[in-house]
Amino acid sequence: MDILLQQLFNGLTIGSVYSLVALGLTLVYGILHIPNFAHGALYMLGGYLTLTMMVYFGMNYWVSILISILTVGLISVLMERIVFHPLRHSTPIQHKVAAIGILLFLEAVAQLIWGPDFREMSTPYGQAVTLGGVTFTWQRLIIVVSAIGVMVLLYLFLKKTFTGSTIIAMAQNREGASLVGINTNKVAILTFFVAGALAAIGASLSSPINLVFPGMGHLVILKAFVIIIIGGMGSIPGAILGGYILGFAESIGATYISADYKDIIAFVLLIAILSIKPQGIFAKGVA
Amino acid sequence: MLELRGATVNYGNFSAVQQADISVEEGDIVVLLGANGAGKSTTFRAISGLVRLVSGEILFKGDSIDGKSPDKIVQMGIVQCAEDRKLFPQMSVEQNLMMGAYVHRKNKKQIRKSLEEVYELFPILYDKRTNFAHSLSGGQQQMLAIGRALMSKPKVMLLDEPSTGLAPLVVEQMFKSIQQINNNGTTILLAEQNAKVALSIATKGYVYENGSIAVEGKPKELFSNEKVRKAYLGA
Repeated sequence: MDILLQQLFNGLTIGSVYSLVALGLTLVYGILHIPNFAHGALYMLGGYLTLTMMVYFGMNYWVSILISILTVGLISVLMERIVFHPLRHSTPIQHKVAAIGILLFLEAVAQLIWGPDFREMSTPYGQAVTLGGVTFTWQRLIIVVSAIGVMVLLYLFLKKTFTGSTIIAMAQNREGASLVGINTNKVAILTFFVAGALAAIGASLSSPINLVFPGMGHLVILKAFVIIIIGGMGSIPGAILGGYILGFAESIGATYISADYKDIIAFVLLIAILSIKPQGIFAKGVA
Repeated sequence: MLELRGATVNYGNFSAVQQADISVEEGDIVVLLGANGAGKSTTFRAISGLVRLVSGEILFKGDSIDGKSPDKIVQMGIVQCAEDRKLFPQMSVEQNLMMGAYVHRKNKKQIRKSLEEVYELFPILYDKRTNFAHSLSGGQQQMLAIGRALMSKPKVMLLDEPSTGLAPLVVEQMFKSIQQINNNGTTILLAEQNAKVALSIATKGYVYENGSIAVEGKPKELFSNEKVRKAYLGA
């Protein structure tokens, strides 16, 4: 029982990070209508920037995260302005090729600046606590609480404010958004900023329990693709739920099946769910 | 109030609208008639800033508006109900209407008032306010599209074939609503294939043929024009 509880908590931790990354991916999908392969590179940069602020500039963990959020958000916006915006009238394949190009470019930049080594991010919240038979570090609790907090804020922003609603409106009908007077350029910029910020938050929260290295985004972004396919492309509740489903499936699978196969679970889950419900769990009724 | 002078639009090598001259006075209901692909929708897209003119100009209250972005044009008071309605399918009826008031987002009081006016004009939208837009019938979706456009408090409303796919009884109701919107002070430019009903409420009409305006005049003149009768009135 204790093992199960422990694994459920671990699932909640990784699920929180997956959900944050998948949310950014699904929001940008609403603008580009392709999955942004470069999203994993934003995640990686988020980890490195927080690490750099802490190690080289001796900043507090939270201040470092804030700087990382703003910087990655800005890089994400530049990505939209410099690459995707000029391509807006071209075919989806050109977006995909461009996204892969950005991914390779940003990873090469990271290697150039920080080198190829694996790095550790030390956290001020490393002590372990035991609560009701579950042992965890404060860091893991911080991941869960912060991620849920961020998601609640994001939800309120998207549903309750005019500015947030423009993101949803544009995803549902781009010309319809133009015709009610929404500036679609501004919405695209805003969406990319939010997506970059979410990736930076996810990476900064999870880096202390993982490692920071140039390829750290690969597996995360592949899993985020699985999540938004399972949850339905562009669906926000789907991205959140999909993230947690995958988190739980992985941590429970690692304990009861085999830790070696942990990373394959996402893809087995993908095949299983798509065989039963090819349109995804939360697929939209109308485009 | 709204004037097109020699407006020409090309899609690649294909010229969709050539040298169109249209003049809409304040308070008018002006009808654009013509077959599918004759250039009516393209004219609307050009006015809304969704496509650019290759030559000619579009004037609104005497100032040129071509080259302005679609959102600026809505802010200036020209709003379009597109033929395919362009609703937000996964938003509720009320959310769709609220998005329609986007240009007035700072003025909550006015939004409330506009919302009440729209519900008064189309009571069915009030009954369905929590339903998703995609779950509405064709007629209700058209009402929602018009209601959403009204939320921006337009000076000119462009209505692209509001009767498409609607039952005859609903069409009649739709035209009554359009007339009421006009009575409340909104100038209307209406594209229609249903010439008879459209001309019955119009103050002026233009007939498109292959991208150019072939005939123009008062409804009476168009009714008596041999060519127009043959092509659009079936008599």
